[in-house]
Amino acid sequence: MSDIGERVRGGEARDVLAVRAVGVSKVYGHGDNAVRALDDVTVGFASGQFTAVMGPSGSGKSTLLHCLAGLDRMTSGQIWIADTELSGLSDRRLTLLRRERVGFVFQAFNLIPTLTAAENVELPLAIAGRRPERAWYDRVIDAVGLRGRLGHRPAQLSGGEQQRVAGARALVSRPTIIFADEPTGNLDSRSSAEMLRFMRRSVDEFGQTIVMVTHDPSAAAFSDRVLFLADGRVVDEMADPTAEKVLDLMKRLGG
Amino acid sequence: MWKLTLKGLLSHKLRLMLTALAIVLGVGFVTGTYVLTDTINKTFDELFTQVTKGVDVAVRTKASFTGQAGEQRAPMPAPLRDRIAGIPGVKAAEGSVSGYAQFVGKDGKPVTTGGAPTFGTSLGTVPEFQAAGTIRAGHRPSGPGEVAVDARTAEREGFRIGDRVTILFQGRPGEFTVGAIIGYGKADNLAGATMAGFDLATAQKVLNRPGVYDEIDVVAAPGISDQALRDRVQAAVGGTYQVLTGEQLAEEYSTLIAQFTKFINYALLAFAFTALFVGSFIIVNTFSIILAQRTRELALLRCLGASRRQLLASVLGEASIVGLLASVVGLGVGVLIAVALNAAFTALGVDLPSTTLEVRPRTILVSLLLGLVVTVAASVLPAVRATRVPPMAALQQHIVTALPHSVRRRALAGGLITVTGVALLLNGLFAGQGDRLLNVSVGALVVFLGIAVLSPLIVRPLARLLGWPFARWAGEPGKLARQNAMRSPRRTASTAAALMIGLALVSFVAIFASSIKASVNSTLDESVSADYILTGPSGGLGFSPEVVKRLAAQPEIESASGLRLGMFKLDGRTQQLAGVDPIAYGRTVRTETTSGDLADMVGGDIAVRENTAEEHGWKVGDTVAMEFPVGGVQRKQIKAIFKDNRLNNAYLLAMTDYTRHYTDQLDFLAFVKAKEGVTAAASRAAVERAVRDFPVVQVKDQAEYKQDQARQVDQILALFYVLLVLAVVIAFIGIVNTLALSVLERIRELGLLRAVGMTRGQLRAMVRWEAVIIAVFGAVLGLAVGVVFGWTLVRALHEQGITEFAVPMGTLFGFLVAAALAGVLAAVFPGRRAARIDILRAITTE
Repeated sequence: MSDIGERVRGGEARDVLAVRAVGVSKVYGHGDNAVRALDDVTVGFASGQFTAVMGPSGSGKSTLLHCLAGLDRMTSGQIWIADTELSGLSDRRLTLLRRERVGFVFQAFNLIPTLTAAENVELPLAIAGRRPERAWYDRVIDAVGLRGRLGHRPAQLSGGEQQRVAGARALVSRPTIIFADEPTGNLDSRSSAEMLRFMRRSVDEFGQTIVMVTHDPSAAAFSDRVLFLADGRVVDEMADPTAEKVLDLMKRLGG
Repeated sequence: MWKLTLKGLLSHKLRLMLTALAIVLGVGFVTGTYVLTDTINKTFDELFTQVTKGVDVAVRTKASFTGQAGEQRAPMPAPLRDRIAGIPGVKAAEGSVSGYAQFVGKDGKPVTTGGAPTFGTSLGTVPEFQAAGTIRAGHRPSGPGEVAVDARTAEREGFRIGDRVTILFQGRPGEFTVGAIIGYGKADNLAGATMAGFDLATAQKVLNRPGVYDEIDVVAAPGISDQALRDRVQAAVGGTYQVLTGEQLAEEYSTLIAQFTKFINYALLAFAFTALFVGSFIIVNTFSIILAQRTRELALLRCLGASRRQLLASVLGEASIVGLLASVVGLGVGVLIAVALNAAFTALGVDLPSTTLEVRPRTILVSLLLGLVVTVAASVLPAVRATRVPPMAALQQHIVTALPHSVRRRALAGGLITVTGVALLLNGLFAGQGDRLLNVSVGALVVFLGIAVLSPLIVRPLARLLGWPFARWAGEPGKLARQNAMRSPRRTASTAAALMIGLALVSFVAIFASSIKASVNSTLDESVSADYILTGPSGGLGFSPEVVKRLAAQPEIESASGLRLGMFKLDGRTQQLAGVDPIAYGRTVRTETTSGDLADMVGGDIAVRENTAEEHGWKVGDTVAMEFPVGGVQRKQIKAIFKDNRLNNAYLLAMTDYTRHYTDQLDFLAFVKAKEGVTAAASRAAVERAVRDFPVVQVKDQAEYKQDQARQVDQILALFYVLLVLAVVIAFIGIVNTLALSVLERIRELGLLRAVGMTRGQLRAMVRWEAVIIAVFGAVLGLAVGVVFGWTLVRALHEQGITEFAVPMGTLFGFLVAAALAGVLAAVFPGRRAARIDILRAITTE
């Protein structure tokens, strides 16, 4: 725990950390109504690592993800995505940063209903006015196993397929980091497993950095490292997790 | 259930406000129209009571011809006054005359009005009659050198007591000293007319009324009622004369004005209804969208046991409240519109004396009812659709926004409605049975409805086509915009339908106007061999025959011919004829005869147009019984039958006859042909020389005359545009409304786009291009309908001289560009809302 803090603060590991947060707090509301969603959080996410963030409801895991991704603004602290510090950025610079550096997979409503699967995958690039690199695009599509479904619209795809399209969309722009917020929350167990395998593969094969918020120990088991949050703080972490180990730790933290 | 209705209303305040705006404007226009015309009527009633003050009984000739050129009455011989003065019970009787008189301003140009008459009149000397006009300054004019001026003209032209002014008459112009400035009670003039007052003898001389009177006014002796005196005078003068009490006279004037205001009323109401009609599309659309967004809520209510009827009542209740509130606001806006219209009339030169605005109970009732009925009627369709929501929809994950509907049924229904509308339209235009105007307007209305029903079917292909440039060049926002425009065909179509109606009418009017211009041009090219065309003052009567006389005397000029207009009655129906000198006219205007010869009219008699002759079964040599203002019924022989040259009326009367049968001798037009070999500059100089003393006459060569005609058409066109702007503005509100609602509906989608890297600017651009595609879609449909309507009307009016069908491509293209720009503008507010969306909330809310 303390050695992560040392590594992050020291900055010696800047090159291997895709994203780092130092002393990040997030307070909602004012005065008596103030709610401290994040309380002086300092974490780093190494390149090519798959990190799961866990914690009970209201522990601040989603808030952390949103702040790290530049979707939400922190109250104090600093966040770097690669070399860029987020706190001073304008909305426009933040948007461009997301476009260039960040990929997203959400729990639900991940796709634009009017676009085909292929168009959804290419969306971030299209918004930036770029064309996908053919070879990379093909690799990603094959990795998600959607070759035959590219012309379909979201309404014609199953939930698992939709989520994999979202995964492909996140991957195709080769972002510094992908944030996934309960990506399997709406999926049945088979689709969940497919989705998680795909995420694992993109870390192992493509060296992608992924941060995933989940409350499912078996999903967390696919990651390299699990961070545990409670009351807006990082309370523990675990390397090479298994579902059983995660469950045990959760029981201990909860008790 | 009612509580729910109210809650629903309050939670959609903004959306409903935009809807209500459409109703507010439509109702406002209706109210404004009524308030304006009621106010005008009241004003004139007061004015005429003022003007006829002191007149107990009035006598004039009976035969009257009402038509385009106003009333025509024969004057009365002077001795009649003496006879009337001798009737027991008559305290005083005085003759009066009135006619054309036009001031020349200090800048040397004739003083014009916005269509109101420029008239001269005799001013009474009997003390009782002097109450009509109030002398504001100076003294009653007396003698051949003095004139009284109405206060408004004096003020506008800077005429002061003692100034020398030139006045134009039928005959030679004259110069007078301003002796008095006159008002009418509080009013400065008579509804925009300019008035030159003279003493009786002078008036008779300058107004071409030697030894005659137009009206004889009588003051009753004490002790005899107006009615009794009227009956007594009537008995004494006999049936050729009309005898009225002063009150009747005022009433009659009022009725004349009321007819005119009724026309204004109908014309303005037509535009107001158009606006409401367009507004109803917006209501249908807004309610459809709002209800679609509330599908889950409605389904939940159904789950909880609400009946369809209850849902329907709730939705219609909501519509009633919106309709009523909007109508109340519309009433208020209407009063403001009336004030604005009044100001517009003043700007056009029709001065209405300021009185308080007349808001009658009828106005309030009609406005409220109309707003309410339109809103509720327009919400019935979406309401019924909403009640069809299955209760299961509440439990489903995905909200079904559009119920599936049959393409074939839509095509069939839309086709049927359109065909019905076209049939009504054609019947109104060509068959001429029943109320033609009603048929045509209802037909047009039904056609619009039919096309509105059909248009969702072509949204996808047409929007794909129209959106192509955006998808190609405006990047991803352009591509998404195109898809958004195509995703809900019904919504896009009904949003565009409002604009379609507005643009169809605008382009129809534009096409019609340009067809008129083209027709006038081709008429001139074909029928007029004259080098110059002379016209009188704009909106005025005509000019002195002296002009043609002087022109004919110029050595450079081969021929000059005047054309006078007059009314006559044939079998009791008023018809128009043109008085011409057959020889001179034949030299300046080409008239092809099928039998007889125009030159045979030298001694008098008439020539008739071919189709008119056929209609009556007339041949050359037949005689026709025509009733003239002077001389009564006369038998005239047909000397020639001519082909329509679009310039001649149906009847040509020899000038020798015209001078005998009409009081006023004014040329409406004059045609001048220069001698061969004379340069244009020389002939022009000769013409200018001849008209030097008649500043009211405008000399134009053919090109200038065409321009002049075009300008007149353009002025009317501009007026139509102004009135149609309202409908277009409402359509514009519709686009804003739909986009704003769509943005709300797509919050999560927009949030997602922002999350994956779309900038606010790109999001705004996306909304903007969608608006442009919708607007251009509506415009394209509207232009197409407008062209078809225009073509149909031009066909129908072929007989009336509209022979050319001209499409002003530049103007229509301009409309298209304007519609696109309006789309850009309409997207500003919804786009801003879209850009302000909180990404987090958008992607996290369930």
